[in-house]
Amino acid sequence: MLLLAGALAGCTGESEEQPAPQPRREAVRLDYWTPFSGGDNQFMTEMVERFNKEQSEIMVVQTNSRLDDYYTRLRTAILSGNAPDIAIIHTTSMPQFVQNGYIEEVTAAAEQIGLDLNQLNSNIRESTEYNGQSYAVPLDTHALVMYYNKQHLRRAGVLDEATGKPRIEPGEEGFRQFLEQIREAVPADVTPMAMPSTRIDSVWLWWSLYNQMDEGGIFYNEQGKAAFNNPQGLQALSYIHGLYKDGLIGPNINDSFKLFYDGKAAVLFLGMWGTGAFEKSPEVELGVVTVPVLYDRPAQWGDSHSLAIPKKHNMTDEKRRAAMIFSKWMVENGELWAQAGHVPSMTKVVESEAFHQLEYRNDYAAAADHVVYWPRHPKQWSMIEILITEFERMIYDKQTPEETLMQAQLKVDVALEE
Amino acid sequence: MMRLFMKPARAFRNQELARKLIWINCLLILVPLAAMGVYTFASFQHAMEKNVGSYQLQTLRQVSLNIDTYMNELDRLTLTPYSYKEIMDFISSPREPGQPLSLEEIESLNRFVSSIFINGRLDIMGVSLYGEKGASYVVLPESQYITTYRLDESADWLKQARSRFGQPTFITTHEVVSTSGTPYQVFSIARELRSFDTGRSLGYIVIDIDPVSVRKLLQQAETSAHEMMYIVDGQGQAVIRRDDSQPVLELGALSGQGVLQGSGKGNEKRLVAYVTSEVTGWTTISAVPIKELMKDSLIVRNSIALAMLVCIGLAIAVSVIVAYRITRPLRKLSRLMRKVEQGELLVQFPVHSEDEVGRLGHAFNMMVSKLSKLGYLLYETEIREKDAQIAALQSQINPHFLYNTLGSISMLAEVAGNREIVTMSNNLGRLLRYSLSNRKERVTLRDELIHVGGYMSIQKIRYEERIHYTQQVPDESLDLLVIPLMIQPIVENAINHGIDKGIGSGRIELRAVVDANTLTIIVEDDGIGLTKEELDSLRERMLHSKELGGQSGNGLLNVHRRIVLHYGEAYGLTLESMPYQGVKVSMILPAQRHTE
Repeated sequence: MLLLAGALAGCTGESEEQPAPQPRREAVRLDYWTPFSGGDNQFMTEMVERFNKEQSEIMVVQTNSRLDDYYTRLRTAILSGNAPDIAIIHTTSMPQFVQNGYIEEVTAAAEQIGLDLNQLNSNIRESTEYNGQSYAVPLDTHALVMYYNKQHLRRAGVLDEATGKPRIEPGEEGFRQFLEQIREAVPADVTPMAMPSTRIDSVWLWWSLYNQMDEGGIFYNEQGKAAFNNPQGLQALSYIHGLYKDGLIGPNINDSFKLFYDGKAAVLFLGMWGTGAFEKSPEVELGVVTVPVLYDRPAQWGDSHSLAIPKKHNMTDEKRRAAMIFSKWMVENGELWAQAGHVPSMTKVVESEAFHQLEYRNDYAAAADHVVYWPRHPKQWSMIEILITEFERMIYDKQTPEETLMQAQLKVDVALEE
Repeated sequence: MMRLFMKPARAFRNQELARKLIWINCLLILVPLAAMGVYTFASFQHAMEKNVGSYQLQTLRQVSLNIDTYMNELDRLTLTPYSYKEIMDFISSPREPGQPLSLEEIESLNRFVSSIFINGRLDIMGVSLYGEKGASYVVLPESQYITTYRLDESADWLKQARSRFGQPTFITTHEVVSTSGTPYQVFSIARELRSFDTGRSLGYIVIDIDPVSVRKLLQQAETSAHEMMYIVDGQGQAVIRRDDSQPVLELGALSGQGVLQGSGKGNEKRLVAYVTSEVTGWTTISAVPIKELMKDSLIVRNSIALAMLVCIGLAIAVSVIVAYRITRPLRKLSRLMRKVEQGELLVQFPVHSEDEVGRLGHAFNMMVSKLSKLGYLLYETEIREKDAQIAALQSQINPHFLYNTLGSISMLAEVAGNREIVTMSNNLGRLLRYSLSNRKERVTLRDELIHVGGYMSIQKIRYEERIHYTQQVPDESLDLLVIPLMIQPIVENAINHGIDKGIGSGRIELRAVVDANTLTIIVEDDGIGLTKEELDSLRERMLHSKELGGQSGNGLLNVHRRIVLHYGEAYGLTLESMPYQGVKVSMILPAQRHTE
């Protein structure tokens, strides 16, 4: 009897349960692709984490790629049937995805889960509508803005201490003068204006300035041919070229974001998305304004991020619904996204107290009204890539602004023919 | 030492038989059953652990294989610079840190990096190129390329990469910080790039990968909730964990593959399987709490224990019942014995079976009945002796007075010169003295014959010439022992029947025969004899009756009973007779001698 009791005693009393962290296995998993490469990705990651924490039915898994490769990847994925369940698509690139039905039309799906697209800023909403149907849920508008480091402006005496805004004389000369004054005041390793020698940034600035002119802003003519090689286009480009050539924009700048972040630039033209990151920089006393009006009217390049559902054969209603619920949550919590710097798409959010309390955003919120999108064209992104290549050649002194526009227009026309 | 055993042994020896049986039964049931249970469970558990261990190892090998496949893909990616001449040129070119790139270089580098990003998986976070002569092109997550990096000669990965002759080296999870300040966890693969012409090292390519991708591979494995799975590098540093909340075990350096049974202590005991990848040199480890694994076996064990308890309980109950049932007749017998001890002889043990107990009971019953019969015989003997004594006392009113009177008569007769009276009175005196004063149990045949002789000389005077008494006794029989006053009643009976009835010649013969151990004394007359009915009735009474009453044959019966009481049923009187032809009485006795 003792033997048995001993054997039993050795076996009991060790089975207390440990509470196991419950993995959300039953949750709908959404693969979510994003192209954020400014300071805004950390805000997006935070939002996704928060969404995942707030509810348990949907599990969003974000994959971020750098913008340079993002669309190549997304296109390949859609063509090979491996598309994510939900992806960020820029309005500019949207025509390319709407054609041939690469992304799903979402009007009905949004209605089903109670997302009223009419609550979104109409300008922004319309940018995602094709033939009266919505193809994505727009998340924001982001436009080109001018960041400046007040420390450097103050040193140059071009800062209005009362308003915190820069003092810039009107016109091309006024802005050039503004940069010259800065150059004289700041140390040699600080560039008056930061703009990379490569990539899209100079194209954005050109498009903004080109659109500020009364006769400007034409990309295609009525026959559908490229039509930007005109005096206005050239004037804007020559002005930018001049800034590079005269060293007001530092040479061989690769990472203008980092340069400004590190306090090595007085002025930076970049999308609004940098705001959240620059605010945190110890080297920068940040100021943000809309792109100064050098010509006839305010205008700046803009685009918007929208949430789209790529088409694939194994898309389920459950996932579609989950994607829309996620989209709804994203636009309704626009104030979180606004912290990155973007102007939220939902009117209610823009008017909210939370948004108004954010510094700087108010200063450029009005920019949304003067945003100039790229023309809607299925191949628009390829056209922009042509512009980027030609502009880079100009910046690296391989060609003049005249040659640049001529070459670009020729190549765009060829691309249109294809 | 011996004493230690002696005490319980003695205590055990003094236990009741039923208890002994129960104790022994319990021991015989419990020990083998418990031993068997423990052994069965232990071997079951061992087998289970082994199975689980090998299953775990197999799963882990699969996981490790998946990871290796993935790593091989990365490995191939690090070979791409060799197929881009301009990249190899860039890496081998001498450069100052931060020296601006030409537009062509930017284009080709960007194209190259893009090809890696696009051809690789989604989880590539960064690509870096380093040249031995100062060139660098580093793309971090969320950042533009950087050309200001210099090779840090003291970096571990660099030393490792250099020592591997162009083989890739895997760098454990570390942190990289994007230009916007966001930290990212990555692990990396680095490869030394060398010139085929000179054989010299030109530079390095490092690809940073999001550990999440490998973590996904770990998470894909079918595992239980409490299972830990992670990868450590050669130094035992965690590279990737399935779940960051899980701790890393202190296991020391592991290589190859295998299973560690029960590492850790107490509740934290774990079954650990590990597989070291030949591709990365990293070890994938999976650890499951044994408690978790043994949940099923716990159920088995508990059911075994329960079944055993029930069996043992039943067995003990049955053995108790059996023990008491088996020993019940014995207890009853012992109770009856005690009654017999107290003198109660009217007891009977009910015999139901023919086994040892039944036979014992039967023997007990026989014994008790014999005892009671013996008691009765003893009792009868005593009564008879008493009767004889009372009778003697009655007749012994005053023997001395009679002797004296007879003495006086003899003297008077002597004076008167009547010889017959002298003889008669002297014989009568001796006769009386012998019968009244003899208290001995046994006398010799000689004494008995003297007594008979005295009696006969009186009777001869009474019957004058009508009696012809002869005596034929061998000398060797004279010393044999007989019961006193045994022959005289028979002779008296012969005179009564043989002579008084007036038939026959009055011949009375007394013979003694010694044959082996038997002494036979025969008294024969030639008187009237007995009819067949009389003879049968007499024989019947001698056999069965214990009474002494009846008209005739009183003396015969008395003598017969006394002989039987003294010597047993084998001895006694036998009668032979025919009407008008006399009676022959034979007394059969054992031939006992005085020496006994």
